[in-house]
Amino acid sequence: MAFLFGRTKQRSAQDIVRSTKDLLLRLPREEGQAAKIEEELARNLSQMKITLQGTPEVEVSPDQVYQLVNHILIESLLPLLVESVYRLPFEARKDTQTIISNVFRFRNPGSTSPEPDALKEVLRRQPELIIALCNGYERRESASPCGGILKEALKWDAVAAVILYDEPSADGKTIDIYNEVDVTKKSSGEGIFWKFFGWIDKSSFEVSADAFDCFRLILTKHKALVSQYISTNFDLFFERYNAILIKSESYVTKRQSIKLLGEVLLDRQFYEVMTRYVDSGDNLKLIMWQLKDDRRMVQYEAFHVFKIFAANPNKSHDVQKFLIMNKQRLLKFLPKFLEDRTDDEQFNDEKAWLVKAIGNLPDTTSALQPPATSGSAQQNGAPMQPNSAQVRS
Amino acid sequence: MADEYQVLEELGSGSFGVVYKALEKATGEYVAIKHIDLEGSDDDIREIQQEISLLSTCASDHVTRYKNSFIKGVKLWIVMEFLGGGSCLDLLRPGPMSETYIAIILRELLQGLDYLHSTGKIHRDIKAANILLSESGQVKIADFGVAAQLTNIKSQRLTFVGTPFWMAPEVIQEAGYDFHADIWSLGITAMELALGEPPRSDVHPMKVLFIIPKEKPPRLEGSKWTKEFKDFVALCLNKDGDKRPSARALLKHPFIRRAGKTEMLKELVLKAKRFEDTFEHQERDRRYYEETLREMGRPQVEDDEWIFDTIKPQASMRLPLPGDFTMKRRRLERIPSGEGMDVDETMTAMEDMSLDAGPLNEMVNSPSRSMSTIRTPKPRQNSLRRESAINARNVSISSPTARRVSRNLSGNVPTSRRTSAQQPPPPQQQQQRQPLGLDMSFGNGTSTVRQFKRASSGNKLHSPSQLSPQDSVFDSDEENRSPVHTNSKPEEPITKEGSMGRRCFAKCIDPAFQEAYADTGDQTKRNALAKFSEAWSTLDSVDPEGELILLKAIMDRIQADPKLASALLPQRVAAAQLASLRCSSKKTSSVTQSELGTYNKTPHSSPKKSRRTTTDLQSTPCSPSKPSPGKLVMNPQNPHLRRMKSNQQLLAEREKSILEEKMPGRVEAGKEHVGMLADVLYGRWTEGLRTRWPLA
Repeated sequence: MAFLFGRTKQRSAQDIVRSTKDLLLRLPREEGQAAKIEEELARNLSQMKITLQGTPEVEVSPDQVYQLVNHILIESLLPLLVESVYRLPFEARKDTQTIISNVFRFRNPGSTSPEPDALKEVLRRQPELIIALCNGYERRESASPCGGILKEALKWDAVAAVILYDEPSADGKTIDIYNEVDVTKKSSGEGIFWKFFGWIDKSSFEVSADAFDCFRLILTKHKALVSQYISTNFDLFFERYNAILIKSESYVTKRQSIKLLGEVLLDRQFYEVMTRYVDSGDNLKLIMWQLKDDRRMVQYEAFHVFKIFAANPNKSHDVQKFLIMNKQRLLKFLPKFLEDRTDDEQFNDEKAWLVKAIGNLPDTTSALQPPATSGSAQQNGAPMQPNSAQVRS
Repeated sequence: MADEYQVLEELGSGSFGVVYKALEKATGEYVAIKHIDLEGSDDDIREIQQEISLLSTCASDHVTRYKNSFIKGVKLWIVMEFLGGGSCLDLLRPGPMSETYIAIILRELLQGLDYLHSTGKIHRDIKAANILLSESGQVKIADFGVAAQLTNIKSQRLTFVGTPFWMAPEVIQEAGYDFHADIWSLGITAMELALGEPPRSDVHPMKVLFIIPKEKPPRLEGSKWTKEFKDFVALCLNKDGDKRPSARALLKHPFIRRAGKTEMLKELVLKAKRFEDTFEHQERDRRYYEETLREMGRPQVEDDEWIFDTIKPQASMRLPLPGDFTMKRRRLERIPSGEGMDVDETMTAMEDMSLDAGPLNEMVNSPSRSMSTIRTPKPRQNSLRRESAINARNVSISSPTARRVSRNLSGNVPTSRRTSAQQPPPPQQQQQRQPLGLDMSFGNGTSTVRQFKRASSGNKLHSPSQLSPQDSVFDSDEENRSPVHTNSKPEEPITKEGSMGRRCFAKCIDPAFQEAYADTGDQTKRNALAKFSEAWSTLDSVDPEGELILLKAIMDRIQADPKLASALLPQRVAAAQLASLRCSSKKTSSVTQSELGTYNKTPHSSPKKSRRTTTDLQSTPCSPSKPSPGKLVMNPQNPHLRRMKSNQQLLAEREKSILEEKMPGRVEAGKEHVGMLADVLYGRWTEGLRTRWPLA
């Protein structure tokens, strides 16, 4: 009896996966039947969800989970699911998210690899799936389920690596991060990672906020990986970060991206990125303009980036020049800056410190030495960057 | 996006935003739009975003439907379906509901909860105020401000959130909880609907946090309600979360199964509307949405731009362009108009409360009415606007989220309940609103003290130490009024020490003996106790001074031994420990130290004692923890308030002091907001002392 029982379960796992696959393929083709197909799909997906995660009352059976995950992978159901998620009815989209997240979480008992087994399998054989999930941000219907799956999967470095090192290719194949990553090679700026800037900037609030959340996770959860990546692609990264995010028309994007910048720069792991960032006079200018934004929280977040420029003991020529040129203005501006934040002790301490530090700067730029590394009088900060970077590396 | 809506009158507001009724131009439908001023808070926009993502993944007829959200200027607009029937709290305004209606509401609520739970969500703030009705009687769960989405349906949550009266014990204890926490809140809500208020609503919300995990769960009692209803409530209010039935199982309960159709609720909605029209019409102060003008900029900034050589700031760098500012709204809370109540920190709020709650204060803003939702991890900065609070009555028709307001641990009272307390009500209503009976009793001395004695008598070991001369302080307060002692004075012109000794005996020793005697079953022990009592009584009549010195010597030795002190004077130890934790701790604890020092010496210098004590008292007339050693034991200032600083501290404290002596702990908890009052009373008491015992 137990033997028979096992067989029926196994067959039903295979059946349900195959029937789901079939329905998903038919969904875009047979519009007349759409309602009926959607209904059947919803039923299948709901059943798969319950098999994988149980209900508040019912525990899952590890054997059934294994069977189902196995068949989903064998039949390559996931890419099809991700691709069609926006076509599915409301609850089915959430079920899809649950199913894929559960598959990604699946581990064989006793497995030792860092990533869960099923996820690793996907990363090896179908890394395109991760890219497809990112592309979920193209549509409002798919943004939330795909974003949800991604954000959970971004626990793993390997997933972040796939996103960072993705490059468009003729055959539509995605890079095999386990074998062919060259971290010193500059990104073309065409890969999936760079699309996040656009999604954050252009989408509706819901999608934009979700995409930003994901972007933040990529940057902050994989510091070693990301600091290497930003160092390699420094100019491209900050060019876009400044132009698209910090200068964004959207209040939320602007405020959040300045805040994220402050967090990243102050992280020990991003030390090299930070030193290069605060060497740039252009970056300082942009941040000083944000101090004068008419929205207080933008000012506040900008302050936390501005203080890094001022606190840097080895200020570049440009940064010193801009600070000295605006010394009197800053000394007039800072004491009144967000002065109603009386209960924010740290802020007030830092502000007081900044006023002191800026007060200690020379009054004119006349004594300012031109950058020592180049020997010639450079007025512009931009050419200096590669130099200082070379010196350090 | 904003152009797609015609924004109409304000429905309600809170620190989190203002809710307007609006017309969706495309469909001609009414919607509720919540405007959240993102500039208003330091908090991560992520929190708000989380609420939206939670709402947007709900599609049920039993959950308020989310339609859209977008940014306009610095405001986030959240568009939701409009529910014209008001909240269940509004429906309670004409009076508690009958069981017939309650059953319908609960059934609909259970269906909503079943939906949420099956999709891995815990609402965490189920209460009448968060249940909205449409005009046709549909019931919907609203306000997902503190709801949680579980990624794994089996996982548990730890966060301490909710509204105290409705919080399940396991949530308060932070022991890990799941969907069953909502079922508890549902049970409390059922009682709220039946009684008009949640159980224990007369208790301070902070105190209720102690009571819920400790005491038996509340029950619906009396013949007014059917057996089924009472059984239903009892099933929900099981302190063991795992033993509570699921929402789905409760739908099969006989009480729910016999519930009628939702259309019946229309009557309830109408009744509430009529009530509002009759009684509150004149208070209506309808406010309409207006696109606000740009705030006046900071002038010193405008003419003083940065200089970076030739580079000109681009438009996107926000040089003041006309028209760029229409989105900016004048923020009321930034205008120091004096009518805004800005509560920055929990502590401040708590102190405010203590003033409000005091019987000497005319404010009727009762902390016990506090229905605000607690939301840890970060208490949100809370800026309440009074005028909006008054207006919140109109929240009746409001969409849910407007209602969640204060996220402070403090008992700020954003919900409409508070509103009603704030409006100028008829005088007698004000009287009714007088908050905590316990505080009053403290002012009058006796009842609280008695209570305390009774409690200590529960444990024989405690009585000798606790009923020490130090306790006389309390009675001294009584003495201010009581003729007994003034009478005794002329009769027996003995020394002050003597009268103190007498007093000790009459007030402490004798009753303690009597209680101990009554508590003792064993005959031999009783005999021994009786002999001891008799002997003490002889001592009292022969040498009351010696009696006092003896008591002092005992007390001093107990205090000197840390183990004994912590066993016998736990409040005192706890108070000292707490004192050292306070911000203003140095002063307080040093006072306690010096006081102890003084005390140690007194037996050897008894002739000068009285003067010393008096001068001591005079020197620090307003130090709350100082009044006298005895004061500490029952000190109303005993910093429960401070405990709320962190919940962990709270828990630790609770273990330390409260669990050991139930009653004193409770008494103190009830009086925590009378700090200021205690000072005043204490001042009066010392004055009374001085007139009676003039300095020699």
